[in-house]
Amino acid sequence: MRKLLATVSAALLGMAVPALAHHSVAGEYDVNKPVTIKGTVSKLEWTNPHSRIYVDVKDASGKVTTWNFELAARSALTRQGWTGKSVKIGDTVTVEGDLARSGVTGAHARTVLLADGTKVLSGANDN
Amino acid sequence: MRKLLVIGALVAFAVPLVVHAQTGAAGKDVGTVNTKKRSAVPTGPVPRLPNGHPDLNGVWVGGGPINDLEKDGGLKPGEIDSLLLPWAKELMSKRDVTLEPHNQCLPMGVPRTTPFPFRFLQNYTDKQATHLYILHEGNIHTYRQIFMDGRQHPPADELDSTWLGHSIGRWDGDTLVIDTVGFNDRWWFDRRGHPHTEQLHTIERWTRKDLGHMENVVTIDDPGAYSKPFTVRFMATWTPGDELLEYICQENNQYGVETLPGGKPAADTDNSGRK
Repeated sequence: MRKLLATVSAALLGMAVPALAHHSVAGEYDVNKPVTIKGTVSKLEWTNPHSRIYVDVKDASGKVTTWNFELAARSALTRQGWTGKSVKIGDTVTVEGDLARSGVTGAHARTVLLADGTKVLSGANDN
Repeated sequence: MRKLLVIGALVAFAVPLVVHAQTGAAGKDVGTVNTKKRSAVPTGPVPRLPNGHPDLNGVWVGGGPINDLEKDGGLKPGEIDSLLLPWAKELMSKRDVTLEPHNQCLPMGVPRTTPFPFRFLQNYTDKQATHLYILHEGNIHTYRQIFMDGRQHPPADELDSTWLGHSIGRWDGDTLVIDTVGFNDRWWFDRRGHPHTEQLHTIERWTRKDLGHMENVVTIDDPGAYSKPFTVRFMATWTPGDELLEYICQENNQYGVETLPGGKPAADTDNSGRK
Protein backbone atom coordinates (compact mmCIF):
# COMPACT_ATOMS: atom_id res chain seq x y z
CA MET A 1 0.00 0.00 0.00
CA ARG A 2 2.75 2.42 0.88
CA LYS A 3 4.49 1.63 -2.37
CA LEU A 4 1.27 2.43 -4.14
CA LEU A 5 0.91 5.69 -2.28
CA ALA A 6 4.48 6.64 -3.08
CA THR A 7 3.87 5.93 -6.72
CA VAL A 8 0.70 7.93 -6.72
CA SER A 9 2.37 10.80 -4.90
CA ALA A 10 5.27 10.83 -7.33
CA ALA A 11 2.86 10.90 -10.23
CA LEU A 12 0.96 13.75 -8.67
CA LEU A 13 4.00 15.94 -8.22
CA GLY A 14 4.22 16.47 -11.92
CA MET A 15 0.64 17.36 -12.60
CA ALA A 16 -1.89 19.93 -11.67
CA VAL A 17 -4.07 18.86 -8.79
CA PRO A 18 -7.70 19.85 -9.16
CA ALA A 19 -9.60 21.64 -6.45
CA LEU A 20 -10.76 19.05 -4.00
CA ALA A 21 -12.03 21.01 -1.06
CA HIS A 22 -15.68 21.67 -0.40
CA HIS A 23 -14.95 25.20 0.69
CA SER A 24 -12.48 27.97 -0.01
CA VAL A 25 -9.29 26.96 1.79
CA ALA A 26 -7.82 30.44 1.63
CA GLY A 27 -10.65 31.80 3.74
CA GLU A 28 -9.98 29.41 6.55
CA TYR A 29 -6.22 28.84 6.40
CA ASP A 30 -3.31 31.24 5.90
CA VAL A 31 -0.92 30.13 3.16
CA ASN A 32 1.56 32.70 4.46
CA LYS A 33 1.83 30.81 7.73
CA PRO A 34 3.16 27.38 6.82
CA VAL A 35 3.76 24.91 9.62
CA THR A 36 5.64 21.63 9.87
CA ILE A 37 4.51 19.48 12.76
CA LYS A 38 5.96 16.12 13.84
CA GLY A 39 4.08 13.97 16.27
CA THR A 40 2.02 10.90 16.89
CA VAL A 41 -1.33 10.25 15.26
CA SER A 42 -3.90 10.11 18.07
CA LYS A 43 -7.07 10.03 16.01
CA LEU A 44 -8.09 9.56 12.40
CA GLU A 45 -11.41 10.70 10.96
CA TRP A 46 -11.86 8.98 7.59
CA THR A 47 -14.84 11.10 6.70
CA ASN A 48 -16.52 13.62 4.42
CA PRO A 49 -16.58 16.45 3.61
CA HIS A 50 -13.02 16.29 4.88
CA SER A 51 -10.88 13.66 6.46
CA ARG A 52 -8.82 14.71 9.43
CA ILE A 53 -5.86 13.44 11.37
CA TYR A 54 -5.11 14.57 14.90
CA VAL A 55 -1.45 14.63 15.85
CA ASP A 56 -0.16 14.82 19.44
CA VAL A 57 3.02 16.80 19.94
CA LYS A 58 4.89 16.65 23.25
CA ASP A 59 7.09 19.59 24.24
CA ALA A 60 10.17 19.56 26.47
CA SER A 61 8.08 19.85 29.61
CA GLY A 62 5.99 16.87 28.62
CA LYS A 63 2.91 18.89 27.77
CA VAL A 64 0.94 17.40 24.89
CA THR A 65 -0.71 19.59 22.28
CA THR A 66 -3.09 18.09 19.76
CA TRP A 67 -3.09 19.42 16.21
CA ASN A 68 -6.16 19.09 13.98
CA PHE A 69 -5.14 18.63 10.35
CA GLU A 70 -7.72 18.91 7.64
CA LEU A 71 -7.26 16.68 4.60
CA ALA A 72 -9.34 16.35 1.45
CA ALA A 73 -12.65 14.55 1.34
CA ARG A 74 -12.55 10.83 1.96
CA SER A 75 -13.79 10.27 -1.58
CA ALA A 76 -11.06 12.47 -3.02
CA LEU A 77 -8.38 10.66 -1.03
CA THR A 78 -9.73 7.32 -2.18
CA ARG A 79 -9.27 8.46 -5.76
CA GLN A 80 -5.62 9.15 -4.93
CA GLY A 81 -5.02 5.71 -3.50
CA TRP A 82 -5.60 6.31 0.21
CA THR A 83 -7.55 3.96 2.39
CA GLY A 84 -8.68 4.27 5.97
CA LYS A 85 -5.52 2.36 6.93
CA SER A 86 -3.01 4.52 5.12
CA VAL A 87 -2.31 6.37 8.35
CA LYS A 88 -2.90 4.59 11.64
CA ILE A 89 -3.21 5.69 15.22
CA GLY A 90 0.23 5.60 16.79
CA ASP A 91 2.07 6.35 13.55
CA THR A 92 4.75 8.99 13.73
CA VAL A 93 4.10 11.54 11.03
CA THR A 94 5.41 14.88 9.89
CA VAL A 95 2.72 17.10 8.46
CA GLU A 96 3.29 20.19 6.36
CA GLY A 97 0.40 22.56 6.07
CA ASP A 98 -1.03 26.04 6.41
CA LEU A 99 -2.09 27.40 9.78
CA ALA A 100 -5.75 27.85 10.67
CA ARG A 101 -6.88 31.45 10.88
CA SER A 102 -9.34 30.76 13.66
CA GLY A 103 -6.97 30.23 16.53
CA VAL A 104 -7.70 26.55 16.65
CA THR A 105 -4.54 24.46 16.90
CA GLY A 106 -4.86 23.15 13.42
CA ALA A 107 -3.81 23.46 9.82
CA HIS A 108 -4.72 22.52 6.31
CA ALA A 109 -2.39 19.64 5.50
CA ARG A 110 -0.51 19.65 2.23
CA THR A 111 1.69 16.62 2.75
CA VAL A 112 1.93 13.87 5.31
CA LEU A 113 5.35 12.23 5.75
CA LEU A 114 5.20 8.76 7.25
CA ALA A 115 7.89 7.40 9.53
CA ASP A 116 9.30 5.16 6.80
CA GLY A 117 9.92 8.17 4.60
CA THR A 118 6.85 7.75 2.44
CA LYS A 119 5.35 11.11 1.63
CA VAL A 120 1.67 11.21 0.83
CA LEU A 121 -0.26 14.21 -0.31
CA SER A 122 -3.25 15.35 1.64
CA GLY A 123 -5.18 15.91 -1.54
CA ALA A 124 -6.64 18.95 0.11
CA ASN A 125 -5.44 21.41 -2.50
CA ASP A 126 -7.76 24.19 -3.39
CA ASN A 127 -7.70 26.88 -6.02
CA MET B 1 -55.00 -16.72 -21.90
CA ARG B 2 -54.91 -13.95 -24.48
CA LYS B 3 -55.88 -11.49 -21.80
CA LEU B 4 -52.99 -12.73 -19.66
CA LEU B 5 -50.57 -12.34 -22.55
CA VAL B 6 -51.75 -8.83 -23.22
CA ILE B 7 -51.32 -7.89 -19.57
CA GLY B 8 -47.89 -9.51 -19.54
CA ALA B 9 -46.83 -7.62 -22.62
CA LEU B 10 -48.05 -4.34 -21.16
CA VAL B 11 -46.14 -4.93 -17.96
CA ALA B 12 -43.00 -5.75 -19.91
CA PHE B 13 -43.25 -2.58 -21.96
CA ALA B 14 -44.03 -0.45 -18.95
CA VAL B 15 -40.87 -1.43 -17.10
CA PRO B 16 -38.41 1.38 -17.60
CA LEU B 17 -35.08 0.44 -19.01
CA VAL B 18 -32.16 2.04 -17.25
CA VAL B 19 -29.51 2.47 -19.83
CA HIS B 20 -25.96 2.90 -18.78
CA ALA B 21 -24.18 1.61 -21.77
CA GLN B 22 -21.00 3.52 -22.36
CA THR B 23 -20.04 2.09 -25.66
CA GLY B 24 -17.38 4.51 -26.78
CA ALA B 25 -14.07 3.70 -28.35
CA ALA B 26 -12.34 3.86 -24.98
CA GLY B 27 -14.00 0.61 -23.98
CA LYS B 28 -15.78 -0.41 -20.84
CA ASP B 29 -15.23 0.88 -17.35
CA VAL B 30 -12.50 -0.93 -15.50
CA GLY B 31 -13.94 -0.67 -12.02
CA THR B 32 -11.27 1.39 -10.36
CA VAL B 33 -11.76 4.73 -8.67
CA ASN B 34 -8.09 5.61 -8.48
CA THR B 35 -8.53 8.33 -11.03
CA LYS B 36 -4.91 9.41 -10.82
CA LYS B 37 -4.12 6.32 -12.82
CA ARG B 38 -6.32 7.37 -15.67
CA SER B 39 -4.97 8.74 -18.88
CA ALA B 40 -5.82 12.03 -20.52
CA VAL B 41 -9.41 12.87 -21.38
CA PRO B 42 -10.35 10.50 -24.20
CA THR B 43 -11.33 11.71 -27.62
CA GLY B 44 -13.26 9.95 -30.34
CA PRO B 45 -16.71 9.88 -31.83
CA VAL B 46 -19.80 10.64 -29.77
CA PRO B 47 -21.41 7.36 -28.65
CA ARG B 48 -25.10 6.98 -29.38
CA LEU B 49 -28.06 5.22 -27.85
CA PRO B 50 -30.09 2.68 -29.84
CA ASN B 51 -32.63 5.43 -30.56
CA GLY B 52 -29.94 7.54 -32.20
CA HIS B 53 -29.61 10.26 -29.57
CA PRO B 54 -26.19 10.95 -28.11
CA ASP B 55 -25.30 8.72 -25.19
CA LEU B 56 -24.53 11.08 -22.33
CA ASN B 57 -24.39 8.39 -19.66
CA GLY B 58 -21.28 8.25 -17.57
CA VAL B 59 -19.33 9.92 -14.80
CA TRP B 60 -18.30 13.48 -15.54
CA VAL B 61 -16.53 16.35 -13.81
CA GLY B 62 -16.83 20.08 -14.41
CA GLY B 63 -19.59 21.52 -16.53
CA GLY B 64 -20.49 24.39 -14.20
CA PRO B 65 -19.15 27.13 -11.95
CA ILE B 66 -17.59 26.63 -8.53
CA ASN B 67 -15.81 29.80 -7.46
CA ASP B 68 -17.01 32.46 -9.87
CA LEU B 69 -19.98 32.23 -12.23
CA GLU B 70 -18.57 35.06 -14.32
CA LYS B 71 -14.98 33.85 -14.68
CA ASP B 72 -15.72 30.13 -14.73
CA GLY B 73 -18.43 30.82 -17.32
CA GLY B 74 -15.97 32.39 -19.74
CA LEU B 75 -17.04 36.00 -19.28
CA LYS B 76 -14.92 39.08 -18.68
CA PRO B 77 -14.86 40.80 -15.28
CA GLY B 78 -18.00 42.86 -14.86
CA GLU B 79 -20.04 41.23 -17.60
CA ILE B 80 -22.40 39.70 -15.06
CA ASP B 81 -21.77 42.02 -12.16
CA SER B 82 -22.79 45.03 -14.25
CA LEU B 83 -26.21 43.44 -14.74
CA LEU B 84 -26.94 43.12 -11.03
CA LEU B 85 -29.91 45.16 -9.89
CA PRO B 86 -29.01 47.55 -7.03
CA TRP B 87 -30.51 45.42 -4.27
CA ALA B 88 -28.79 42.29 -5.60
CA LYS B 89 -25.46 44.08 -5.88
CA GLU B 90 -25.75 45.23 -2.29
CA LEU B 91 -26.70 41.74 -1.11
CA MET B 92 -23.75 40.19 -2.91
CA SER B 93 -21.33 42.73 -1.44
CA LYS B 94 -22.44 41.78 2.06
CA ARG B 95 -22.32 38.03 1.64
CA ASP B 96 -19.78 36.17 3.76
CA VAL B 97 -18.35 33.13 2.03
CA THR B 98 -18.00 31.35 5.34
CA LEU B 99 -21.78 31.41 5.66
CA GLU B 100 -22.72 30.19 2.21
CA PRO B 101 -25.38 27.48 2.26
CA HIS B 102 -23.35 25.03 0.20
CA ASN B 103 -20.71 24.87 2.93
CA GLN B 104 -23.45 23.97 5.36
CA CYS B 105 -24.07 20.83 3.27
CA LEU B 106 -27.10 22.30 1.50
CA PRO B 107 -27.76 21.86 -2.25
CA MET B 108 -25.98 24.03 -4.77
CA GLY B 109 -28.67 24.86 -7.34
CA VAL B 110 -28.11 25.20 -11.09
CA PRO B 111 -25.71 25.32 -12.94
CA ARG B 112 -23.19 25.10 -10.10
CA THR B 113 -20.98 22.05 -9.76
CA THR B 114 -18.25 20.83 -7.41
CA PRO B 115 -14.75 19.39 -7.78
CA PHE B 116 -16.41 16.02 -7.37
CA PRO B 117 -17.94 13.96 -10.17
CA PHE B 118 -21.54 13.56 -11.23
CA ARG B 119 -23.27 10.92 -13.29
CA PHE B 120 -25.65 11.46 -16.19
CA LEU B 121 -28.23 8.68 -16.26
CA GLN B 122 -30.63 8.57 -19.20
CA ASN B 123 -33.69 6.49 -18.54
CA TYR B 124 -36.19 5.41 -21.16
CA THR B 125 -38.61 2.68 -22.13
CA ASP B 126 -38.72 1.01 -25.51
CA LYS B 127 -41.05 3.77 -26.60
CA GLN B 128 -39.60 7.01 -25.29
CA ALA B 129 -37.24 8.74 -22.92
CA THR B 130 -38.75 9.15 -19.47
CA HIS B 131 -36.20 10.91 -17.30
CA LEU B 132 -32.67 12.12 -17.14
CA TYR B 133 -31.09 11.99 -13.72
CA ILE B 134 -28.01 13.99 -12.84
CA LEU B 135 -26.54 12.41 -9.74
CA HIS B 136 -24.08 14.55 -7.81
CA GLU B 137 -21.55 12.99 -5.46
CA GLY B 138 -20.88 16.21 -3.54
CA ASN B 139 -20.94 18.33 -1.68
CA ILE B 140 -24.03 16.53 -0.69
CA HIS B 141 -25.52 13.66 -2.57
CA THR B 142 -28.21 15.25 -4.68
CA TYR B 143 -30.09 14.23 -7.76
CA ARG B 144 -31.65 16.38 -10.40
CA GLN B 145 -34.72 14.87 -12.03
CA ILE B 146 -35.36 16.07 -15.57
CA PHE B 147 -38.63 14.99 -17.16
CA MET B 148 -38.04 13.85 -20.74
CA ASP B 149 -41.56 12.63 -21.48
CA GLY B 150 -42.85 15.81 -23.07
CA ARG B 151 -44.65 17.24 -20.09
CA GLN B 152 -44.58 20.97 -19.42
CA HIS B 153 -43.84 22.94 -16.27
CA PRO B 154 -46.72 23.31 -13.85
CA PRO B 155 -48.54 26.64 -14.07
CA ALA B 156 -46.61 29.38 -12.30
CA ASP B 157 -49.17 29.62 -9.51
CA GLU B 158 -48.77 25.92 -8.82
CA LEU B 159 -44.97 25.88 -8.66
CA ASP B 160 -43.75 25.28 -5.15
CA SER B 161 -40.18 26.55 -5.07
CA THR B 162 -37.41 24.04 -4.43
CA TRP B 163 -33.62 23.99 -4.27
CA LEU B 164 -33.25 22.43 -7.72
CA GLY B 165 -36.46 23.56 -9.37
CA HIS B 166 -38.69 21.81 -11.89
CA SER B 167 -36.80 20.58 -14.94
CA ILE B 168 -38.04 19.41 -18.34
CA GLY B 169 -35.78 18.22 -21.13
CA ARG B 170 -35.92 17.83 -24.89
CA TRP B 171 -33.55 17.23 -27.75
CA ASP B 172 -32.63 19.98 -30.18
CA GLY B 173 -30.72 17.93 -32.75
CA ASP B 174 -27.83 16.45 -30.79
CA THR B 175 -28.15 18.98 -27.98
CA LEU B 176 -30.01 18.14 -24.80
CA VAL B 177 -31.94 21.19 -23.63
CA ILE B 178 -32.92 21.36 -19.95
CA ASP B 179 -35.38 24.06 -18.97
CA THR B 180 -35.78 24.73 -15.26
CA VAL B 181 -38.01 27.03 -13.24
CA GLY B 182 -39.40 26.96 -9.72
CA PHE B 183 -36.18 27.54 -7.78
CA ASN B 184 -36.06 28.86 -4.26
CA ASP B 185 -33.66 31.75 -3.60
CA ARG B 186 -31.62 30.08 -0.86
CA TRP B 187 -28.55 28.91 -2.77
CA TRP B 188 -25.70 30.89 -4.31
CA PHE B 189 -24.45 30.60 -7.89
CA ASP B 190 -20.85 30.47 -6.67
CA ARG B 191 -18.50 31.19 -3.79
CA ARG B 192 -18.56 34.88 -4.69
CA GLY B 193 -22.21 34.91 -3.75
CA HIS B 194 -23.94 35.81 -7.01
CA PRO B 195 -27.59 35.94 -5.96
CA HIS B 196 -30.89 35.09 -7.64
CA THR B 197 -34.60 35.19 -6.95
CA GLU B 198 -37.49 32.77 -7.35
CA GLN B 199 -38.02 34.29 -10.81
CA LEU B 200 -34.90 32.47 -12.02
CA HIS B 201 -35.25 30.53 -15.25
CA THR B 202 -32.29 28.49 -16.52
CA ILE B 203 -31.86 26.90 -19.93
CA GLU B 204 -28.98 24.45 -20.15
CA ARG B 205 -27.81 23.21 -23.53
CA TRP B 206 -25.66 20.09 -23.10
CA THR B 207 -23.77 18.95 -26.21
CA ARG B 208 -21.36 16.05 -26.19
CA LYS B 209 -18.64 17.37 -28.45
CA ASP B 210 -16.68 14.12 -28.60
CA LEU B 211 -16.15 11.04 -26.47
CA GLY B 212 -14.54 12.90 -23.58
CA HIS B 213 -16.03 16.38 -23.66
CA MET B 214 -19.52 17.72 -23.05
CA GLU B 215 -20.29 21.43 -23.34
CA ASN B 216 -22.89 23.12 -21.18
CA VAL B 217 -24.11 26.49 -22.42
CA VAL B 218 -26.43 28.05 -19.89
CA THR B 219 -28.76 30.99 -20.30
CA ILE B 220 -29.64 32.57 -16.98
CA ASP B 221 -32.73 34.74 -16.91
CA ASP B 222 -33.70 36.29 -13.60
CA PRO B 223 -35.44 39.64 -13.96
CA GLY B 224 -35.66 39.80 -10.19
CA ALA B 225 -31.89 40.14 -9.77
CA TYR B 226 -30.34 40.96 -13.18
CA SER B 227 -31.22 43.63 -15.73
CA LYS B 228 -31.16 41.16 -18.65
CA PRO B 229 -30.44 37.48 -19.37
CA PHE B 230 -26.87 36.34 -19.88
CA THR B 231 -25.13 33.18 -21.11
CA VAL B 232 -22.24 31.28 -19.56
CA ARG B 233 -20.29 28.34 -21.00
CA PHE B 234 -18.68 25.37 -19.30
CA MET B 235 -17.06 22.11 -20.32
CA ALA B 236 -17.44 18.78 -18.57
CA THR B 237 -15.01 15.94 -19.10
CA TRP B 238 -15.73 12.23 -19.00
CA THR B 239 -13.82 10.21 -16.44
CA PRO B 240 -13.85 6.59 -17.57
CA GLY B 241 -13.01 4.22 -14.75
CA ASP B 242 -14.41 6.51 -12.10
CA GLU B 243 -17.52 5.83 -10.05
CA LEU B 244 -19.54 7.90 -7.64
CA LEU B 245 -18.31 7.41 -4.09
CA GLU B 246 -20.11 7.92 -0.84
CA TYR B 247 -19.96 11.52 0.33
CA ILE B 248 -21.92 12.25 3.46
CA CYS B 249 -21.33 15.95 3.91
CA GLN B 250 -23.13 16.07 7.25
CA GLU B 251 -20.82 13.42 8.69
CA ASN B 252 -17.95 15.64 9.82
CA ASN B 253 -18.47 19.17 8.57
CA GLN B 254 -16.41 21.42 10.80
CA TYR B 255 -16.43 24.29 8.34
CA GLY B 256 -18.26 27.28 9.65
CA VAL B 257 -18.96 25.35 12.81
CA GLU B 258 -15.91 24.97 14.98
CA THR B 259 -13.26 26.57 12.81
CA LEU B 260 -15.13 29.63 11.65
CA PRO B 261 -12.63 32.48 11.33
CA GLY B 262 -12.87 34.49 14.49
CA GLY B 263 -14.90 31.78 16.12
CA LYS B 264 -14.05 29.58 19.03
CA PRO B 265 -14.08 25.83 19.38
CA ALA B 266 -17.25 24.35 20.76
CA ALA B 267 -17.34 24.03 24.52
CA ASP B 268 -17.10 20.27 24.48
CA THR B 269 -13.91 20.16 22.45
CA ASP B 270 -10.28 20.77 23.20
CA ASN B 271 -8.44 23.46 21.26
CA SER B 272 -7.86 21.13 18.34
CA GLY B 273 -11.59 21.00 17.79
CA ARG B 274 -11.52 17.32 18.74
CA LYS B 275 -14.49 16.15 20.74
